[in-house]
Amino acid sequence: MTTWKEKLADQMPEEWAREIDIFEKQMELRRQGKVEEKLFAETRLRRGAYGQRYDNGKRNDGTGAKPLDYPSGDLTKGPETVWDAPGMQRIKIPFGGLNPEQMDVLADLAEEYSDAICHVTTRQDIQLHYVHFDDTPTIMRRLAAVGITTREACGNSIRNVTACPLAGVCRDESFDVTPYAQATMRFMLGHPDVQDFGRKFKIAFSGCRQHACGLVSLHDVGAIAVTKEIDGEPQRGFELYVGGGLGAVPQQAVLFDEFVAEGELLPITQAISRVFARLGEKRNRARARLKFLVKKLGVEEFKRLVLEERKTLPHDDAWTAYLEELPSYGEKALKQAEPLAAGEQAQRFERWRHTNVYRQRQEGYCVAAVTLPLGDLTSHQMRALADIARRYVGESVRTTVEQNIVLRWVRESDLPALHAELEELGLGEPGAESIVDVVACPGTDTCKLGIASSRGLAAELRERLASKQFELDQAVRDMRIKISGCFNSCGQHHISDIGFYGVSRNVGGYAVPHFQVVLGGKWVDNAGSYGLPIGAVPSKRIPDVVTVITDAYLRERESGESFQAYAERVGKKALKEKLSDLTKVPSREEDVSFYSDWGDPREFTIGDMGAGECAGEVVSLVEFDLSLVEELVFEAQLALDAGDLEAVTEKTYRAMLQGAKALVKMQFHDVADEPDQIVAEFKQRYFDTEIFFDRFAGGKFANYLFRRHESHEQAASRADARELIEEAGLFVEACHTCAAKVGSQPGAAEKTSSDSTVVTLEI
Amino acid sequence: MSHPIEDLQRISVKFPLAMGCEPELDGVIPVFHRWIQDRAVDGMLIDVADYAHVPQGPGVMLIAHEGNYALDLDRGRLGVLYARKQPLAGDLEQRLAAVCCAALRAAELLAGEGEQFRIAGDQLEIAANDRLLAPNDADTDSAFRPVLDRLLDRLFDGAAHELCRDEDPRERFNLHVRASSGADAATLRQRLA
Repeated sequence: MTTWKEKLADQMPEEWAREIDIFEKQMELRRQGKVEEKLFAETRLRRGAYGQRYDNGKRNDGTGAKPLDYPSGDLTKGPETVWDAPGMQRIKIPFGGLNPEQMDVLADLAEEYSDAICHVTTRQDIQLHYVHFDDTPTIMRRLAAVGITTREACGNSIRNVTACPLAGVCRDESFDVTPYAQATMRFMLGHPDVQDFGRKFKIAFSGCRQHACGLVSLHDVGAIAVTKEIDGEPQRGFELYVGGGLGAVPQQAVLFDEFVAEGELLPITQAISRVFARLGEKRNRARARLKFLVKKLGVEEFKRLVLEERKTLPHDDAWTAYLEELPSYGEKALKQAEPLAAGEQAQRFERWRHTNVYRQRQEGYCVAAVTLPLGDLTSHQMRALADIARRYVGESVRTTVEQNIVLRWVRESDLPALHAELEELGLGEPGAESIVDVVACPGTDTCKLGIASSRGLAAELRERLASKQFELDQAVRDMRIKISGCFNSCGQHHISDIGFYGVSRNVGGYAVPHFQVVLGGKWVDNAGSYGLPIGAVPSKRIPDVVTVITDAYLRERESGESFQAYAERVGKKALKEKLSDLTKVPSREEDVSFYSDWGDPREFTIGDMGAGECAGEVVSLVEFDLSLVEELVFEAQLALDAGDLEAVTEKTYRAMLQGAKALVKMQFHDVADEPDQIVAEFKQRYFDTEIFFDRFAGGKFANYLFRRHESHEQAASRADARELIEEAGLFVEACHTCAAKVGSQPGAAEKTSSDSTVVTLEI
Repeated sequence: MSHPIEDLQRISVKFPLAMGCEPELDGVIPVFHRWIQDRAVDGMLIDVADYAHVPQGPGVMLIAHEGNYALDLDRGRLGVLYARKQPLAGDLEQRLAAVCCAALRAAELLAGEGEQFRIAGDQLEIAANDRLLAPNDADTDSAFRPVLDRLLDRLFDGAAHELCRDEDPRERFNLHVRASSGADAATLRQRLA
């Protein structure tokens, strides 16, 4: 019987085919127990084969934690990752560029090996979920045959290189960044200098400073196209930023150089990679991103090291070879430009045109956005969209960081027919790049780290907003909502007008899904500023949060005032007060729906936690203490707004201390209000015993406290102060999680005593 | 020489719902969660995937190791689907029968949840979820139809049936079946037992 490997042998790039063969051999060696599981996990991740929720062989089915007895038994593909458990395959789509042939293959793969859904991510990748690991080499071969690789889609390597989906057709760009993004991807892919990173590394390109499409500020390396006159001639180059990132503690990228000439783009990126590989943190994953190295060294010293490194790099023709092809680079329109026929169009078309169509700088052409709910489209839709692309635009298709797909070079006269065809497929909905176009990470649907259902909430908000989107004021329609299932920010909640990230709260001994409300983020200006959480609200009341906040904005805004400006003027305290009624959780008897998540009728849990009635009162006490601690973190935010960095330093430290104390009190009620004793008791009872440890982050959050306790360093800048607030917030969240975990253990209440005996709980 | 389709394992079968049956997709989410708790259908049941937000999508799926169940809305046609992923024992006809039985068992249980979940009982859609073994062409069709005909004779108790194929070569090999008379899910399943 012919295999895909044999069938596609002549169609795959030789190097890629060889790499996949090696990966398949590694799989075989792992099956034979000849490769250590941690090493194999990194190997797998570097091929884009990710784990998925419940792949540890356990799941709470709503009545309790139940084993999932996969047939592979003890065979694992990584620590606590069962071989047979479904996983996710991430597929890198550099700058989001797709052609119809590739779309056909993606559709086929989703149908044959996944759940018939192609999911567009917030970094322009495509993900397939529920994939059996044994199928991944075949998936990789079929992708390689159409010029797509999954290499370094995950793992500690250079991830997908993203770029503005309007590059080349944008009315405001300096120049088309596409060939530069493509060259960077090709040059860095598998490069020896990017194989020894302590953490992932993300690169983005933008054609301008002011729009959002490139999101340069949140990347490890971000390049904004600029031209500069040198010797009387305009020269292309990049304003280069380094050290940005979201995650638990977000950082804005800082300016590395105002002008890196185009010929220096690749060698400088290579030199940055070398410095990162050499000096970046390797052991502590929590501080291993480039942002921590840049912060530790300072950008000037970092730049000095990079430029020193640049001098030592052996010359590589590839640095500039692609520049010779630039003059001939460019997409070609499939059809001759033609204006839209005059006359009245159907209202549905006009609404779609209003929100989903962008007029290109090339006269007579448009970019049409295909709105994908939650970034999902079916195999059938993907294949049909490939056909539509063939008929209307040829190869000019791109995914976007807003989880949509855009068709470029649509001639204006074709718009009504194009819309009609999209409508037939269920893809003609309006609302792209509006409040309806809610972005969400996978959350508890499939992610192992998810705390609350980001997609469930996104679907609910989308449905409610879509039905009334054209009744909304334009100012509200222009807002963005982004949702993450946890603090890790894959849904990019920090950079939206209204962001949410999933947390859990314990109410009367039961876990209740909540979302932290994050306000004040800035989507435009390449993710120009990050919002901060103002408080947690029960998940089921989040739609009301959106209503309250948008109503207040409409009522109270000044003429032409953006939401960010409004939020800054009114202040977080006033906004928080508006939400105070929504933070209350009814008892289970009053409304049990609050105790389960959106789209999931199971009683909400984090991990396999159950309800421990005997610990109810103790947990109530600790939750009360922690709510006061949250207030302290919020006060720190207000201090930041007022520019009082000293108060931020003091309040965040005190918040962490009080959070630790609240936990210590669960076991040792009479702990003194003395920092050294609190930290020592906390360390002994919760850190050394690993009770406080996050399943994935380990002791990361406790280390925030220890570091602050050791060095009482004052925040030197707003960025420093911001980081202290983020860390304190995360520490408090970890306290909530720990309290819930401890509270769920039978007998936990008995540990509330005045003696200082440490009791280790089996968690 | 035998056709590669003889080795087909990834088989998908969908029984469309009866005319007028248009249940809310969300309504099946708690049902599937309950099935996991009760182990109501065959397989190692893992989780529920909610795609109700996707127009003309896979609806709501019950993910299992061996194969996925779904109240499926692909291309706007509601039906009870079972898509087999892991190998089954027996020859192709026996494997087809096993996949049909899994889908019919799910349909039978869903029918117990309310009239709105009732299948038409005289139709099914079958797809070979493997383009390597079963490209969507005339050769595959010739090799597959005799096997399917035997199965359909049992399923519809000898009633006449029509087969129709979407011939787009990029699509999976597929056949839509309409019989001159049908039966409820339980009866259909008994006929294949």
